[in-house]
Amino acid sequence: MIDLLTPKSIIPNLRANSKKQALQELARRAAELTGQHERAVFDVLLERERLGTTGVGHGIAIPHGKLPGIDRVQGLFARLERPIDFDAIDEQPVDLIFVLLAPEQAGADHLKALARVSRMLRDAQTCEKLRGADNADALFALLTHTESIRAA
Amino acid sequence: MIDIINLSILIGSGLLVLSILTSLLSFRFGAPLLLIFLAVGLAAGEDGPGRLMFDNAQAAYLIGSVALAVILYESGLGTRLSAFRSAGPPAIALATVGVVVTMTMVALAARYLFGFSWINAFLVGAIVSSTDAAAVFFLLRVGGITLRDRVRSTLEIESGSNDPIAIFLTIGLVELAVSGESEPFAVAMVFVQQMGIGAVAGLAGGMLAVVALSRLRMDAGLHAVSSLAMALFLFSLTAVIGGSGFLAVYLAGLCVGNRRIPGGQTLQRFHQGLAWLAQIVMFVTLGLLATPSQFPAIAPTALGLAVVLVLVARPLAVWLSLLPFRFSRAEVTFIAWVGLRGAVSILLAIVPILADLPGSRDLFNIAFLVVLMSLLVQGWTIRPLARGLRLIVPPRAGPVDRVDLELPGKADYELVAYRVHEQSLAARGGRLERWARPSLLVREGHVRPLHGAGALQPGDLVYLFAPAARIPLLDRLFGAAREHAAEDRAFFGDLALRPDIRVYALAELYGLPLVAGAADDTLADLFHQRFGSGLEVGDRLSLGGVDLIVRDIEEGRILEVGVDLDPATAPSRRIPVFQSPAEILRGLAGVVGRVRFRIWQMRERRRERRVNAAAISSLTSNAPDPVVERRASGDGRTATPGDGGSELERTGRE
Repeated sequence: MIDLLTPKSIIPNLRANSKKQALQELARRAAELTGQHERAVFDVLLERERLGTTGVGHGIAIPHGKLPGIDRVQGLFARLERPIDFDAIDEQPVDLIFVLLAPEQAGADHLKALARVSRMLRDAQTCEKLRGADNADALFALLTHTESIRAA
Repeated sequence: MIDIINLSILIGSGLLVLSILTSLLSFRFGAPLLLIFLAVGLAAGEDGPGRLMFDNAQAAYLIGSVALAVILYESGLGTRLSAFRSAGPPAIALATVGVVVTMTMVALAARYLFGFSWINAFLVGAIVSSTDAAAVFFLLRVGGITLRDRVRSTLEIESGSNDPIAIFLTIGLVELAVSGESEPFAVAMVFVQQMGIGAVAGLAGGMLAVVALSRLRMDAGLHAVSSLAMALFLFSLTAVIGGSGFLAVYLAGLCVGNRRIPGGQTLQRFHQGLAWLAQIVMFVTLGLLATPSQFPAIAPTALGLAVVLVLVARPLAVWLSLLPFRFSRAEVTFIAWVGLRGAVSILLAIVPILADLPGSRDLFNIAFLVVLMSLLVQGWTIRPLARGLRLIVPPRAGPVDRVDLELPGKADYELVAYRVHEQSLAARGGRLERWARPSLLVREGHVRPLHGAGALQPGDLVYLFAPAARIPLLDRLFGAAREHAAEDRAFFGDLALRPDIRVYALAELYGLPLVAGAADDTLADLFHQRFGSGLEVGDRLSLGGVDLIVRDIEEGRILEVGVDLDPATAPSRRIPVFQSPAEILRGLAGVVGRVRFRIWQMRERRRERRVNAAAISSLTSNAPDPVVERRASGDGRTATPGDGGSELERTGRE
């Protein structure tokens, strides 16, 4: 995770009332991180949602897409203040969102990053810890630490 | 005289009550139910505490035959034609080729390992060659397990259609033993005649029964009884005119069960109850007939034959029969293992006794013990096996409180009543589509007007008219939303995709490799091309490094496709046996690919060495390190030819 996230890419309490609002807010933050246009990020994420939901169940969503103009795969993690309806596959509301943006020429890296994020958030314990963490630093530590333990 | 009659009724009904009560135990322990009925019969019999003397093989055979006819008719009633379309050919291969191979293997073992005479060896083989599905499905139902469709249908249809064949073989062999002469051609002719007449009579009788049941106006109470009477009449008539009565009732049941008949649901339920009764009566009777004190003498032989049957004959028969069909290794393994033997085998073992063949008592006892062992060992391991082989479809919905009400007359709509579950979408205020709006609402025991009742509340009773196809959707709306377990995610994949996405769009998004031919197809097309009409939930295609999975199907149309991002972590066991032709070819191609890659690598290395040697000799100390360079070029290439991921690769249902 350490190569996908920076402490700046953690939002410990995102406020949103709907899926669209959440994606807009996330696009805004991602735009700041990547230096790309907010609208472009939003379109990419929305386009992917049109193909099928990225709400993978258990309150987790992994919106993602290819964003021209960035040079490496970048992540953005948000914890929602209040769970929202995300059309998730188990029809449960979502409160943890991991956004993944891949450069145009990412190739297999995009999929690899997606698989890593999905694998990490598949673990119920990790998700519980993420929900219970106090602040952005704790979240960042959890997200980056978990993976290094896994990898070891 | 009257006393004796009353006493026998008392004994009979007492046994029935006892069997039904003990069956409750079975639900608790997951023991094969039929085993319990058999045990009740044994316990009541001459060597058990019941001390009932019952040694009338003729009566037992009569009871067993009628019971079997009832069971087969019900089994036909419950088989959907759609299931027949996808699972019919493999099931019939199992019922014909499979039965013959099983019989031959067991016969060879009996002849060479246990010194049976040829005729008795083949008799034993024929007797134990048919399977019993009732045991399997009971166990799966108790566990609340849904098996993959094709596997379940195959097992179901196999066990229905192999009985007539096993019966024919056994009776034919007994006749051969009695008359002492054999003409293969005549035997074949009799087979064709039996099955031909049976099939024609069954289909014709089934059609007639459909007409009679839907046209004739009779008392409602007689409706189901008339169906039973027709089935038994057809069974005996076909047998009298020289056909296979068992095949006829099965096919007739298939005809009746797949037509919309007024009162069809009541009919099904009636026959389900009857089939249960028939199972109990048959097993208890057969248990009574057996004499356990004779068992120890033949136990080693029976054990040996059971081992051969379970571990050699059945797997080989299944593998051979399923070779032309697309079954994965896990599926073949499962089908091979769950070839449970049941009442039919014991029933057939009576035939040699009726003919008074030498050694017929031993044959009966052996068959009895083989069935017992099969029920015990295989019966108890079905569930863990199905789980281990990942053949279980996780349910898509949570518990649903639904009652189906039957509408009088023919209607395409069904009336269903739901109690709104507190965790359902409807109770959480989900918007109801027009077709999902209730026609009647009962809240706290009172009918409420639909206008002004507000949002649905947990515990509300709603009545709706809906076409049958919509009912699964309604289940999801009014039933509890289900927690997805982690293993479901391994089954259904992580992400969801619409089935009408084109392959190139997906490949572009995720950087997947693909061949040009399939680029313009939709995901649904890919699945339909690969699996055809047998397509079902859980089918997988591998595309580059990910698996695509069918998540949901409605009337043959894919509704949703899942993506498994790292299929390697999915807990699948690879079984080295049971190769399908496609797998063998793939394996060979893999080997060839690897060998060619090795050769290419060696040649490359040699060439590099030559170049490097030349470079070193011509240049001075500034030459690039040859070792490092060779590594880099070698690593860059290894991935491509080795794992076969460079093209759109379609693997089966792993």
